[in-house]
Amino acid sequence: MAAAVTSRLSAALCRQFQRVVTVSSFTQAHYAAQTISKFQSCQQRAPVYSRALHTSCVRKGLDEFFDLPENWGEPTVKSGAPWTAKQLRTKSNEDLHKLWYVLLKEKNMLLTIEQEAKRQCLQMPSPERVKKVERSMKRLDTVVQERADSLRLLQTGQEKARPGAWRKNVFGKTIWYKFREHPIPWHLNTRYKRKRFYEPLHVTPYTRLSLEKHLKSKVRKERREKRRHKELAEIFPKKTAVA
Amino acid sequence: MRLTALLSMAAKAAFPHDYRYGTSRPWTVAARRVNPPGKKRRKVFVEPIANEDWHVLRGDTVEILSGKDKGKQGKVSQVFRHRNWVILEGLNTHYRYIGKSGDYKGTYIASEAPLLLKDITLVDPTDRKPTDIEWRYTEEGERVRVSLRTGRIIPKPMYQRRDGIIPQQWKDGPKDTSPDDALQQTYTPSLKTLEEEVMEKMNIQEDRRPRKSYWY
Repeated sequence: MAAAVTSRLSAALCRQFQRVVTVSSFTQAHYAAQTISKFQSCQQRAPVYSRALHTSCVRKGLDEFFDLPENWGEPTVKSGAPWTAKQLRTKSNEDLHKLWYVLLKEKNMLLTIEQEAKRQCLQMPSPERVKKVERSMKRLDTVVQERADSLRLLQTGQEKARPGAWRKNVFGKTIWYKFREHPIPWHLNTRYKRKRFYEPLHVTPYTRLSLEKHLKSKVRKERREKRRHKELAEIFPKKTAVA
Repeated sequence: MRLTALLSMAAKAAFPHDYRYGTSRPWTVAARRVNPPGKKRRKVFVEPIANEDWHVLRGDTVEILSGKDKGKQGKVSQVFRHRNWVILEGLNTHYRYIGKSGDYKGTYIASEAPLLLKDITLVDPTDRKPTDIEWRYTEEGERVRVSLRTGRIIPKPMYQRRDGIIPQQWKDGPKDTSPDDALQQTYTPSLKTLEEEVMEKMNIQEDRRPRKSYWY
């Protein structure tokens, strides 16, 4: 909804700009050159906004923030199942893009209802709808991520969208360091060069100790589990083979 | 505050390792009243049953093998996997008062007690006698419960979702996508990202190029 309104607003703005450009180009040539250079970017992207204007089918305006009139005052509103990832995987990118905004509008509507119910200290009718929409959106997002990942893997061989590397921090722990985008190379970046990605000498003995601790706790956990299974096998002699 | 500290605060408190699951869900008021923090209770041993071996579903008809309602058959209304419990509708009941306040004694109701899984058996729908079952596969590859005594398939009960909807009986409302539209395959793999495809569809030309940047 919000997106549609902003797109409409920006479209109107852009049309005004366009009018300025056309009128001025007819009347004052030298002034028009300035205006055109000023709104060059806008004019270039003009088809965007006009396109968005055509595709948005806003008919009800603010009413879209509210439920259908036949559901007003109902204690429960029945709703179908959320979209599953399996269903979404068969949909084209364009469909997913459209569906995202459909879901977003629905979510906005539900949040409005929720807020209104909160204001009146009432129970929202069928609160599970919010969760359903959120689940659908999350699944849609995962599907989009999957596609982007597979494409990246195919074209560049990179597994992750954000590059990184296994490094050691000052505590001697091996961590996955996520790279960040910088405007300057690292050898000019004094703040980055201050970072330490190595294990100081005085930490080395403790690293060994912490590894030992980790291994011991792991073994202890395994033993505990084994003992528990044995106990249960004694109590329930028949079917515990699976456990 | 450090972000990690904030996150650890936001994270749910872990269950105590000896938490004793009951009939009410752990986050409800009733469960908190029964299990206040720091309370120690006798340990219960629950027979470990793998998820794929579990065979009693909500809505099944089962027969009780022991207790005061031994030999009666009833419908499963609730299943508790943490304790291998099952509650049958209106069976194995005791009477108690609920909603006591001041002078009012409360209402006298029959409440069902849970039954252990070993105290019930599934009922073969063909002869309505108790039977042991086994999970097997049909020729279509569907996993079904088969009665060991008669070899008949025990059908799965009608599945009811938590919001009270039975998918088989659901009729599409104004906001539902029709099954044809939902299942229609519109995706064709291409070497374009979602953004590129959408921009192409909407006639967006982007000729701004980002400045050179360094990742490290």
